[in-house]
Amino acid sequence: MTTSPATALAASCATCHDCHLLCRLPGTPGHGVRCPRCGAPLHARKPRSLERTTALVLAAALCYVPANVLPIMTVTSLGKAQSDTIMSGVVYLLLHGMWPLAVVVFTASVFVPVLKILILAFLLISVRRGSSWRPAERTRLYRITEAIGRWSMVDIFVVTILVALVRLGSLATIQAETGAVFFGAVVVLTMLAAEAFDPRLLWDRSAARRT
Amino acid sequence: MSERDPGDALPAAVAEAVVETRRRPSIVWLIPLIAALVGGFVAWRTFSERGPEITIRFATADGLEAGKTKVEYKSVELGVVEEIRLADDLSHVVCRARMVNGAEEYLREGTRFWVVRARVAGGQVSGLGTIFSGATIGLDPVREGKPTREFQGLETPPVVTIDEPGRHFVLHSYHAGAVDVGAPVFFRRIRVGQVVASELDPSGDFVEIQIFVDAPHDERIHAGTRFWNASGVDFSMSADGVSVDTESLVSILVGGISFETPERDGGDRAAEGAVFPLYENRAATQREIYTEKTEWIVYFDQSVRGLVPGSPVEFRGIRVGQVRDVRLELDPEQKNLRIPVVLEIEPQRFGDMHLPPDERRQRLDALVARGMRAQLKSGNLLTGQLTVALDIYEDAEPAEIVWQQPYPVFPTIPTPLEEITAGLTSLVKRLEQIPFERIGADLSASLVAARASLEQAERTLASTSSLVAPDSALSQDLRRALYELTDAARSLGLAADQIERDPSSVIFGRGEQ
Repeated sequence: MTTSPATALAASCATCHDCHLLCRLPGTPGHGVRCPRCGAPLHARKPRSLERTTALVLAAALCYVPANVLPIMTVTSLGKAQSDTIMSGVVYLLLHGMWPLAVVVFTASVFVPVLKILILAFLLISVRRGSSWRPAERTRLYRITEAIGRWSMVDIFVVTILVALVRLGSLATIQAETGAVFFGAVVVLTMLAAEAFDPRLLWDRSAARRT
Repeated sequence: MSERDPGDALPAAVAEAVVETRRRPSIVWLIPLIAALVGGFVAWRTFSERGPEITIRFATADGLEAGKTKVEYKSVELGVVEEIRLADDLSHVVCRARMVNGAEEYLREGTRFWVVRARVAGGQVSGLGTIFSGATIGLDPVREGKPTREFQGLETPPVVTIDEPGRHFVLHSYHAGAVDVGAPVFFRRIRVGQVVASELDPSGDFVEIQIFVDAPHDERIHAGTRFWNASGVDFSMSADGVSVDTESLVSILVGGISFETPERDGGDRAAEGAVFPLYENRAATQREIYTEKTEWIVYFDQSVRGLVPGSPVEFRGIRVGQVRDVRLELDPEQKNLRIPVVLEIEPQRFGDMHLPPDERRQRLDALVARGMRAQLKSGNLLTGQLTVALDIYEDAEPAEIVWQQPYPVFPTIPTPLEEITAGLTSLVKRLEQIPFERIGADLSASLVAARASLEQAERTLASTSSLVAPDSALSQDLRRALYELTDAARSLGLAADQIERDPSSVIFGRGEQ
């Protein structure tokens, strides 16, 4: 961070996303720039990264509310139907003394999605405002987001497995509810958002400041 | 590249044109849009499905669970209990329940809530399903009435819900007997309804039993229908032997009510909520079919020994009522004691069921003018019981009914020589029982037999006399026999002398001397 090294962008170059070949970009920006080696479209930065990420994060945030308010599954046991939301499941586990499991469920299903949305939102705002504040930490945040994203799918896996396994007729049946759909959407949307975000943007500004 | 760039020839001060890049919004914005739309739709649907919030008060929250206990009608979920808390004064619990959308229509003042648990009542087991699924709150929806959100829950489920076709009736009984809520109502031993409520009348004089008769059997209940307590077993002994009467095993255990409509004078169909008396048993319904009773007072100047409350009042032998009370009171005017007897007459027995009171009065006055009087008569010589007899005595002294409060006074005539007549009658009856004719017949038969015996005796005597006549063969023979006997005795004497003189002659015979 002490010096600002040359970037490909500054040298009007770009690496191919697919085969990572360093190519010189033509002077006029336009469409149809391709990698001479593998033919993939060439971009100096991910196209419309901020816009896409913003849209996806917004969508994920919107879906997060019904995902937590609506029940994710209904357990029908001996004629007694009970619908559970994520939080009621966590509370149930806590009340029955299974607090390690409660911590896992809470982390994977409640904490992580919120964390992801908040991190992405923070990154987006900082990039939009042209902040050069601690780009390395912000990049680390981004890496965390990318890494933990898939673990939130644990809930969905549990629900799908239970729904498929517990088919004991009137004895016990489990049905997935609307909340599960929204929860799945939150996880997928945050993963897509993380994918759409270009972490190099975090560095562009600080590089621009220093030059 | 430089020849293509004219800007190089210009001075550096020339301002650079702003290149406006028209960027259409990315298609990726559709995703949050769709998410917003779907989320909004789900939120709207969830919110619109949220019905009104109600509070139900129960004595206890036994079996209820916040967030799980459902409010159900016909097993259709109409709401969920969201919160259970104690009332401020700890006297009851308050359940807050969220109803589904559209339930407002049924949340009226008459709507009843109760906790459905497994229970055994009225010979029926109900709510077995709740053993596994936990208690639910039952609901009996009412469409009329003021909408409300506050309800008082019932402790026991209502026996009859509003949707059941049928009608309610009210029975008045002296005591509740074995009839409990849920007890069956029988018609020809088929269960057609049940007891809905059984409570003491506010006055405390009788028990008010509410019953519900299911359609279509409610059509069988007319104004003249008689209900009786069918609880337990009726034993009766008669000339036919012992008969045991019971409705069903259930009614022995939990009690029951039976009814019957007489073939004739059944009356019109009874309306909802009609009131009927409840008789003790079936026999009572056949006896006491007259619900209307008028009370009269009669004064007797003679001994009323044997007249007790319950003694019959008869008109020419037909029971028309009974004695209700026998008293003794001082007659202040005549300084005399007199005996007022209160009679309970069932005027319907006279057939004037639907006469207005005035006309009935006129008729009675006319009857009294013709000579109708009350009189004491002995009902049973053996026990000395008396009855009050009504009859028309053409030659009775003129009298009239004194229409006064509380009871009108009915004229009486004394019972002259009543006892004597009765005694004579019994004497005559006993005399009549002697079989004079048969005695006569027997007597003549005896005489005939006696005559025959006499003749026989005569004949015997005659033959006897002929036997003993002097010239009869018998006497001749007798005489000869006597002679011979004399000879024999003399020879014996001679022989004895001979032996005396010569004893050896016995051995050697008489010698030649």
